[in-house]
Amino acid sequence: MSEKKHIETDILCVGAGVASLSTALSLLRTLKKQNVEKLPRVTIIEKGRNVGSHVLSGAVIDPSGFDGILTPEEIQKIPIEAKVKKEAFHMLSESASLPIPWMPRMMHAEGFPVGSLTKLVIYLADLCEKEGAEVYTGFAAAELLEDSKGRVIGVKTGPKGVGRDSKKKSNYLEGEEVYAKTVVLGEGASGFLTKRLLAQKDMFGMRRQSYALGIKEIVEVSPNPERVGEIMHTFGYPSDSQTYGGGFVYQTAPNQVMVGYVYALDYTSPTANPHKLFRRFKAHPIIEPYLRGGKIVAYGAKVIPEGGFFAVPEVYNDGVLIVGDGAGLVDSLRIKGVHIAMMSGRAAGETLANCWIKNDFSKGALQQYDVKLKETPGWQQLKRVKNVRASFSKGIMTGVMSAGFAWATYGAFPFWQVDIKRDFQGMKTLQETASDDWQMPITPLSPDRLTDVFMSGTKHEENQPCHLKILDTKRCIEECIPKYGAPCLLFCPARVYALEDDHIHVDFSNCLHCKTCQIKDPLQNIEWTLPQGGDGPRYTRM
Amino acid sequence: MHIIVCIKQVPDTANVKINPETNTLMRDGVESIINPFDEYALEEALRLKDKHGAKVSVITMGPPQASVILREALARGADEGILLTDRAFAGADTLATSYTIALAVKKINPHPDLVFFGKQAIDGDTGQVGPGVAECLGIALLGNIKTLEVENGRFRAESAHENGSDILEGDLPCVMTVLKEASSPRFARLRGWMDAKHAPLQKWSAQDVEADPEKLGLKGSATKVVRIFSPPIRGCELKCVWSTDKEVALKSVMGTLVKKGILE
Repeated sequence: MSEKKHIETDILCVGAGVASLSTALSLLRTLKKQNVEKLPRVTIIEKGRNVGSHVLSGAVIDPSGFDGILTPEEIQKIPIEAKVKKEAFHMLSESASLPIPWMPRMMHAEGFPVGSLTKLVIYLADLCEKEGAEVYTGFAAAELLEDSKGRVIGVKTGPKGVGRDSKKKSNYLEGEEVYAKTVVLGEGASGFLTKRLLAQKDMFGMRRQSYALGIKEIVEVSPNPERVGEIMHTFGYPSDSQTYGGGFVYQTAPNQVMVGYVYALDYTSPTANPHKLFRRFKAHPIIEPYLRGGKIVAYGAKVIPEGGFFAVPEVYNDGVLIVGDGAGLVDSLRIKGVHIAMMSGRAAGETLANCWIKNDFSKGALQQYDVKLKETPGWQQLKRVKNVRASFSKGIMTGVMSAGFAWATYGAFPFWQVDIKRDFQGMKTLQETASDDWQMPITPLSPDRLTDVFMSGTKHEENQPCHLKILDTKRCIEECIPKYGAPCLLFCPARVYALEDDHIHVDFSNCLHCKTCQIKDPLQNIEWTLPQGGDGPRYTRM
Repeated sequence: MHIIVCIKQVPDTANVKINPETNTLMRDGVESIINPFDEYALEEALRLKDKHGAKVSVITMGPPQASVILREALARGADEGILLTDRAFAGADTLATSYTIALAVKKINPHPDLVFFGKQAIDGDTGQVGPGVAECLGIALLGNIKTLEVENGRFRAESAHENGSDILEGDLPCVMTVLKEASSPRFARLRGWMDAKHAPLQKWSAQDVEADPEKLGLKGSATKVVRIFSPPIRGCELKCVWSTDKEVALKSVMGTLVKKGILE
């Protein structure tokens, strides 16, 4: 055992998602290709219990991200269930659907792999370990460590064994400090450290990030081999005309369907309930036949950064890089980010390889990541649809038209920056809102939130401080409930928040780590903090 | 002091499902973990190590992938890990398993001070291997340990049984099975995991422990699993009684139970 108090590594990646793992893989492979003898120690820590426990995506993956990171043989072997063979886009109304006959080429996904992102990251983590990187799960990065000049020099992991009363339990374990030459933040959307870093060093983009909440179920159905590879995307119903929302159904295996609904978090109705909208979506006559007779076997939810080009923050600073969803690298028209996450990982990996060779990890040397990222095709896609998401906030039709113009003019139009509010702003009051009286009986294929939460496998040590902090409980009662009727009761896809007599009860052990609450709470009175490492959902096939 | 801890890799039964047609465990996607009761056994060993200084060896028997739990034990602070793995071990019942593990214990140290087991494994739930190993080794057995102190080669332990518990004192060596009341298992440090990641593990086959092939695996088993099935769910009726008055609620519940003939 080493005598030093802290752990030393060369490159520390926070989060074992697609972006981090691509960074590690690309870094080690670039150096090996150049016959560099002494390789850096690359350490990846992940707060989920296992690799992939906390990743969630549709997932139809644009395979262009694999280029330059995986070999052709490895691309052949990716553990993805199917390839898209037939795709459809539908505009939905309550009882009908209108197929969109023509879609620009960039929207097409034929031949793309479709399946579980969890399985893909397990595969990537395995490749990383074979290259010599080390992946450790169950450790949350709770604090960025800086030197006296403000350079990030490492992270401190979260403590374990803290009781509900914030006192140390008998098995208390203090957080450990890990020092690195560069910290790569690949925490995903609305990441704990990323959020703090952006605020502290004022690294925000031209616009603050906008998010959508994605809710997904995996349904086991009776075998239907001829449908494998069929995917459908929808927009319109059950979303209102002012909110960017859409659904998907993917048949990924003869007996497996993935169904999901994405709802932009800039919606304005305080009574909106994304999980209920998801249920409405599943009940639509065009969707229901895919699921009929099936059984839900997995559930999950996660926010997607869809602010696009203008919301991308500065992606590097002294001692730190931000990759993937944490940097908002999602094509907001296609809602696709896996490939851009991989491209950002590759750009980061190649940058760090140069830094390693020159033994120069200064801010100036890290800037190369910014340059490389902006040369990737993924970045070009972001740029091309830069205003689409904002235009959708002006209504679906404005959005559709804007998307068309943007595509046709390679992003030159609209040439102005369409203005957009923060997600938590603009919520109407209860008085201004028509009540939503849509009712549907709970059925096995349309369960309530708690039944769904069970399917996520989420688990938290009960005897620990609540990781969802309501900053001022008085404001819930005095401001939020009278004005908005406590939207947290409805927007949380895990039903973490419940109204009890005179306070909001927080069932933190149901939490899916989706971060909706801290994004959408109109009073910004909820703070998502880290629970004990290893807690949270346990996705195995999301 | 040399302490040997025997641990088992089990499916996380909290998430395990049984295929209703074949009555077999559906292991797909089910995580394998250290048998939770064995974590208390390991913790007891590590606690004694912290207090008195000791060498802690950990054994598991299973397929090669069971080495993961040995690494987890090393990450928490054990000193060495031994994986007993051989096709000849497959299908062993508790008798053949006890025989095999006892041979490995003897090979590690013919005169260990303490051998720890969890009280039972959550998959088979037999609780027989600890006592079986004690018998094979000819060492005294103390089951269901709630508290334990060791001093100068003697132990003082609280052992639970149906009617309460006994406090027993005696000389080491001893084989003990540990209850969860004994402690809260510690977490592995990140540094512990780093050290454990590439730590050498010993892999022993039937030959390495000089086992009699007749006493191993299915051949050496005295019992056979004829059938596994999940018992049918007993039908029951759920009725909630809502009342703010305790007395009213109680009366209503009692009335229902009497009406159904459950209570007189």
